Amino acid sequence: MSIYEKIGGEAAVDAAVDIFYRKVLADDRINEFFDTVDMESQHTKQKAFLTMAFGGPNSYTGKDMREAHKNMKLTEDHFNAVAENLVATLQDLNVGQEEIDAIIAVCLTVKDDVLNV
Amino acid sequence: MTAIVFEGEPITLDEGETVLDGLLRLGHSIPHGCRSGVCQSCLLSATEIDKVANAQTGLSEAQKQLNFFLGCQCLPTEAMTVARVDADVSRIKATVMEKTQLNDQVWRLRLTADLDYRPGQYVTLWRDENLARSYSLASTHEQPWLEFHIRHYPEGEFSSWLVESLSKDDTLELNGPLGQFFYTAQSNDPMLMIAMGTGLAPIWGIVNEALMKQHRGPIEVVVGAKQAKDFYYREELGALQAQFDNLQVHWLSLDSDSPETANLYDYCQSNFSQLSDHKVYLCGGTSFVKKLRRHAFMAGASMRDIYADTFIAFGGEPG
Repeated sequence: MSIYEKIGGEAAVDAAVDIFYRKVLADDRINEFFDTVDMESQHTKQKAFLTMAFGGPNSYTGKDMREAHKNMKLTEDHFNAVAENLVATLQDLNVGQEEIDAIIAVCLTVKDDVLNV
Repeated sequence: MTAIVFEGEPITLDEGETVLDGLLRLGHSIPHGCRSGVCQSCLLSATEIDKVANAQTGLSEAQKQLNFFLGCQCLPTEAMTVARVDADVSRIKATVMEKTQLNDQVWRLRLTADLDYRPGQYVTLWRDENLARSYSLASTHEQPWLEFHIRHYPEGEFSSWLVESLSKDDTLELNGPLGQFFYTAQSNDPMLMIAMGTGLAPIWGIVNEALMKQHRGPIEVVVGAKQAKDFYYREELGALQAQFDNLQVHWLSLDSDSPETANLYDYCQSNFSQLSDHKVYLCGGTSFVKKLRRHAFMAGASMRDIYADTFIAFGGEPG
């Protein structure tokens, strides 16, 4: 059973995405990157990202991640801020530490692509 | 193998082939992305809703009611009829029934036409082959006309034609209805509806439909304008408010002739700070919608419960 199925599949992603996006928009370390983007389409992208991080059905590729974050000059601090918000979201939803660790491990696999290094 | 009809063309799907894959195989240009039911770029619409219910996961209530589904998630087991979303560009004839000036800038246009729509959706009105503008539907099904609230821009080619030349019994063409801005709430849901200027048009339609469908949850309507003299339908909304206990209307302008002199954005931030479980409807200009969408989301409204209708500037200039 994948983590995605374990934590409740699509319904879990639906529950997580609003909480996660709200935390990101409230975080002064990273919210400037979201000032000019369309919230609705960004919300859909966040959902696709969480589906991937939870091990659900997706077609996210490292190349997409790299392209999407190109020219944003993101640093390790930005990446960590997003990861912290994700951990806090999962804690809000009472996801177990073991699952949280596994989800963060998935995020770390795309870190180089996100930072374009 | 299942046969489907796509925009009039019979198509045979292979065993285990999704609607999206079948259409792409036959060379139709259909936007698509993740093929996993997540990105929602391959939206299509079906004639029979029960046949696509399992390909609607993740769609908004409005999209579901419009029979939209995700092509990549749909494996039909029986014949069905499918089309691209908003593909209906055929025009119908409409006749001017009434044209009334509501205030300095706003005109009410009532047309008769045979159109099936939801109050709050919009249609495109055509003066001729070269000039068209989109306007929201303020009427409800109980009314034997289509109602539009049209702001006259003196430099605007379309609205000037409408104000200066169009008369009763004239005919024009329209196509639609389009959009997902309409009443989808459950009866007990709290609703917040915020309109700037003629953004009141679709909201007037939606409020009336909600009340007619005996909506029981609280409905807050906020109407904003630069000056109180730009308001219209104050009597009409006042009468509704007197009739329905669950309706509360707030009139906000920046001058003191208004019941509330306040910046609409500040007012909404302080008066509507807890919006969990609310259905939120926003209609106005781009920056108005953007700011209030963000506020509504941060105040707890779920993204899929925030409906927004943004004025479109044609060719860079409002019409």
